[in-house]
Amino acid sequence: MRIARRVIAAGRHRGRRIKLVELTADDRGQGALEGAAEEARTRKPAPADLLLGNERAALSRAGLLLCLSDLLWIGQAALLAFCAASMLSAFMAEDTAVLPLLFLAASAFAFVLIGGARALCQHKAGQMARRVAATVKIRKRGEFLASIARVSPASGMPGSGQMAAYLSEQIDALGPYLTHFMPQQQRLKIVPLAIVLTVLPISWLASLILMVTGPVIPLFMALVGMRAKAASEAQQEELARMSGMLLDRLRGLVTLRLFGALSNTERDIETAGERFRNGTMNVLKIAFLSSTVLELFSALGIAFVAVYVGFSLLGDLSAGTWWGALSFGPGLFILLLAPEFFAPLRAYAAAYHDRAAGLAALSKLDALDRSLTEMAAVNRSDTAVRGTDPAAVQRPGLAQTAPVLRQAPLIDISRLQVGAQSARRLASVTFTARAGEAVILRGRSGSGKTTLIDCLLGFVDADGGHILINGFPLSDFDPAGWRRSVAWIGQSPALFHGSIRSNLELANETASGADLENALALAGASGFVSRLPKGLNTVIGEEGFGLSVGEGRRLALARAALRTDAPVLLADEPTAGLDDDTAQDVIAGLERLAEGRTVLLATHDPRVLRLSWRQIELTAGAREASA
Amino acid sequence: MSAIGQIIARQRHFNPVAFWAGIAVAFVPALAGLALLGVAGWFITACAIAGLTAVFLNVFVPSALIRGLAIARTAGRYGERMVTHDATFRFLAFLRTGIFKGHANAALQGARKLRSGASLNRLTSDVALLDAVYLRLAVPTVVALGVGLLVCLWFAYLDWRLLAGLGLFAAAVISMVVRLKGRNAAAARRLEAGHEALRVRSVDLVAGRRDLAVYGGLDKAAGKVMVANDALIRAESEIDNSAGSFTAATFLAGQVYLAVMLTLTGLLVFDGGLPMGAGVAVLLVSIALPELVSALVPGLSALPRTQRAAARAEANLQAAETGNMDVNAVAQSVPSAAFDGGNTAVLAFDQVSFAYPGAGRSVLEAFDMSLAPGECVALVGRSGCGKSTVSALAAGLAAPVSGAIRLNGAPVGEAGEERLRKQVTVLTQKPYLFHDTVAANLRIANPDASEADMWEALERAALADRIGRSPAGLETVLGEGGLGLSGGEQRRLGLARAYLTRPVLWILDEMTEGLDNETANDVLDRFFSFKGDAAVLMIAHKPQEVARADRQVRLADMF
Repeated sequence: MRIARRVIAAGRHRGRRIKLVELTADDRGQGALEGAAEEARTRKPAPADLLLGNERAALSRAGLLLCLSDLLWIGQAALLAFCAASMLSAFMAEDTAVLPLLFLAASAFAFVLIGGARALCQHKAGQMARRVAATVKIRKRGEFLASIARVSPASGMPGSGQMAAYLSEQIDALGPYLTHFMPQQQRLKIVPLAIVLTVLPISWLASLILMVTGPVIPLFMALVGMRAKAASEAQQEELARMSGMLLDRLRGLVTLRLFGALSNTERDIETAGERFRNGTMNVLKIAFLSSTVLELFSALGIAFVAVYVGFSLLGDLSAGTWWGALSFGPGLFILLLAPEFFAPLRAYAAAYHDRAAGLAALSKLDALDRSLTEMAAVNRSDTAVRGTDPAAVQRPGLAQTAPVLRQAPLIDISRLQVGAQSARRLASVTFTARAGEAVILRGRSGSGKTTLIDCLLGFVDADGGHILINGFPLSDFDPAGWRRSVAWIGQSPALFHGSIRSNLELANETASGADLENALALAGASGFVSRLPKGLNTVIGEEGFGLSVGEGRRLALARAALRTDAPVLLADEPTAGLDDDTAQDVIAGLERLAEGRTVLLATHDPRVLRLSWRQIELTAGAREASA
Repeated sequence: MSAIGQIIARQRHFNPVAFWAGIAVAFVPALAGLALLGVAGWFITACAIAGLTAVFLNVFVPSALIRGLAIARTAGRYGERMVTHDATFRFLAFLRTGIFKGHANAALQGARKLRSGASLNRLTSDVALLDAVYLRLAVPTVVALGVGLLVCLWFAYLDWRLLAGLGLFAAAVISMVVRLKGRNAAAARRLEAGHEALRVRSVDLVAGRRDLAVYGGLDKAAGKVMVANDALIRAESEIDNSAGSFTAATFLAGQVYLAVMLTLTGLLVFDGGLPMGAGVAVLLVSIALPELVSALVPGLSALPRTQRAAARAEANLQAAETGNMDVNAVAQSVPSAAFDGGNTAVLAFDQVSFAYPGAGRSVLEAFDMSLAPGECVALVGRSGCGKSTVSALAAGLAAPVSGAIRLNGAPVGEAGEERLRKQVTVLTQKPYLFHDTVAANLRIANPDASEADMWEALERAALADRIGRSPAGLETVLGEGGLGLSGGEQRRLGLARAYLTRPVLWILDEMTEGLDNETANDVLDRFFSFKGDAAVLMIAHKPQEVARADRQVRLADMF
């Protein structure tokens, strides 16, 4: 067996582990995804692809509204400065009449009006950005679900837990990126510039102070941030591993107990937590430094402006203005604008984490998207069956017009093969199952039994040969319609979160209570179902009642039996992993289900091989087994 | 006390110094920031007055103060972040250990139903959510209240009438906080349910694609995921929108407050009570004051979710405290029967009955069985007849309702956990493998095992070659659930792990189930050549397993 060696993460604290090497299972889907993820890391994800034109416009409008809110502050600051200046002159003149109550009240009222407009702008901007985020998330989930539904069920896909994480958490991570980060970009471009331009006519020196301290900030932040970024990415993985470890140990709690390893594990979790804290603090030491640089420059910027304005007012300093000396009103105005100059920078830095998380999620989703598309392309080469099928070529007018099956059909398989020459999954198989005949496909694991059943279900396309149903190529049937005329039992049947009833009704929505009873009785499941807390309404699956393997298999059999009008029965190792008693019940149920149907049953279980059905041995080439 | 309050109390209790230090340091940047603006406002006003009146003004003290405050604000912010984060991470590590302890206790006390994977998942992600309790709720709240109080004192010192504006603002903010808190509780519940449904349905869709393609249709199943998504997005929007309204409302309240302060200072300056410089300082401080409230917004909008996470974690931690984990307790009095010579049964079931609490029917009724030293007994019967219950009882994972189970003559329940674990090793159908190195997985059984011991165990389990081929050897990391090893290899690793123990009793629970005949025979051969003179209780239904036993015990079907 080939061992795929994969370096997951390099660099581990204290050099305890230099490399994490993981053995990967022979899971093609996983491999494809990893490969794509690798590629995505080298390729920069394009956030632009994420948004439709109108969404980009909406986000940009949201950004502009935030800018508007900031620019309105300039008006408010002017109002405040004007009031203060009037107060000062009245104070100096010791004349209250200069500043009547009415004037103050009017200014305050105007201030509140502008403030209300700003609140409205901010609120609207938030709403718009959130709406965009919601539609993007809905669209992304919809696209992924459609791709998942499009990919053949027979192709390997990353684990279900991992896929669920993609669908929920990774897509969720796009939300803050769109709502918090994206609108800030506009703010960063417009607001500081507008404030510098507003200050410029009053004092070129104050404007210069802002201009110098402003652009220096991103430079310093970038310097510090680059180191922090690499470190924080490693730390994010460590955090995931940290909670993963707790989860893993909780799941294996019984094992730990049986080996008397509980107190040791408790210590392990403690040390891992301590190690994680140390690592994280080392990262944060640097990461916080970058926001501290920002903080420092913004504080110093305000301080310089204050000192400059103060000294100008004192008369000690007369430089910096275009004409005359700086007076109190304009001086206060500049001081009020200084913090607002730095505010967009601070907001941008605060949202930077959302950007990193969003982009990371985006590149992962991108990789998944491409690997899903590839999978869909591989398994949906519609030409595969029809193109190499002489029968289809002979009946050009009949394509896609195969009739709906009502009675057990004749299934004719000829020279069917799957996989390239070097990696045959199914080697040229030829046999015919007459209408209503039951055929056992036997063979060792790896002989292609499951692949053949997958071909019959339309999950896998053949690379040669053909399958004819009543003389019509399988590809002429509408896939969904064909599958509806099949009763099928897989080797590890999946039951879903929900009641037993809803699980069974997947096979037949219009099944009556009596139909359900009959199906359960045929599968030998009536007994245990009636003993469950709520009978047919008992919730099974995740967070529901746990069923044993045998019970699950019986329910799968009942589900197949509920397809009362399906003329074809396909079964793939229906007795795998069952004890003798359950296996006998399942075999008896299959025998009853076989009545009036064309049956193909793949197995290597001797208990099933005792059936008197015709047997086909699947090996390098299929041939009739000696009866 | 609310769950969040309890978590806060827990953190305070866990490390009071770090808890209060974080809050104390957080005051520095908040106060320095306000003071910077206040002093700057006062300074330029004083300068303006001095400039106009040519009165001497000592400019060096205030200008140095301004620079000093700027630096204090910066350094304080950095210090605050470091101290509060360090305190939080320490506490989270403590929480994780506590949660593990809680579960371990529940397991030791024989809680039958272990939690589902989903709820464990939620529990561990809850811990990550709880960092918000201190960082985003406790610290900003105390700082907002404390700084607010200091500003109140300063205003009162200047002129008590200034308090009117501040009081108005505080009242508005508090009423909005109360409103926000009540509003989101239901939405938070729906948010959680939506997340859960999205996850469960996606897992079902991906894991059951074959079944869905034939039964019900993939598109329809995908549609069900989208229904969950819609519910999730609705709940999210509701929470986000009310947080957005809260932000806008507090902003507006801040604007009204500023306008009120503008009018008030104007009036008071002319009233003669308030110096002009102080008036401008009050105005500038008032501009920055609402920022203290906006620091609370992220914590407050996530409050209902945090509350739910806190309640779950708290329940778990309380379980950790009520049970005392007496893993190391040794049986006080081992009955002398334990040492009455060589003919004592290794394991004896004496009239044992067992029923799950609340269940109408018992699983075992007056069951008798005994295992002589070195004997191998196969326990057979159809599935559901209670074989696994016998195994759980013998391993001390469950306690009988009546009757006695003796291990070497001493009741299993009294042997003490540690002693019991040394005497009994259980090999299950599917060994749980941890997402860790091969070595770590092996050392679960014996923390003192040397590398040589481990290689020997792997050799005995016929896995040494496979692990040896991997470049990292014993340090090879296994994926989740043993990913990277085939089913048979996982079984062999489980076997190797068990070979690091030397028990007097082995319990094999369908050890070779699902293995092909060749592998099954190999595994069995290796086991029986290793086990020595230990007794074996084998739960089996495969003939090749049963054939190895000295005798069979058939469990009657209770149904």
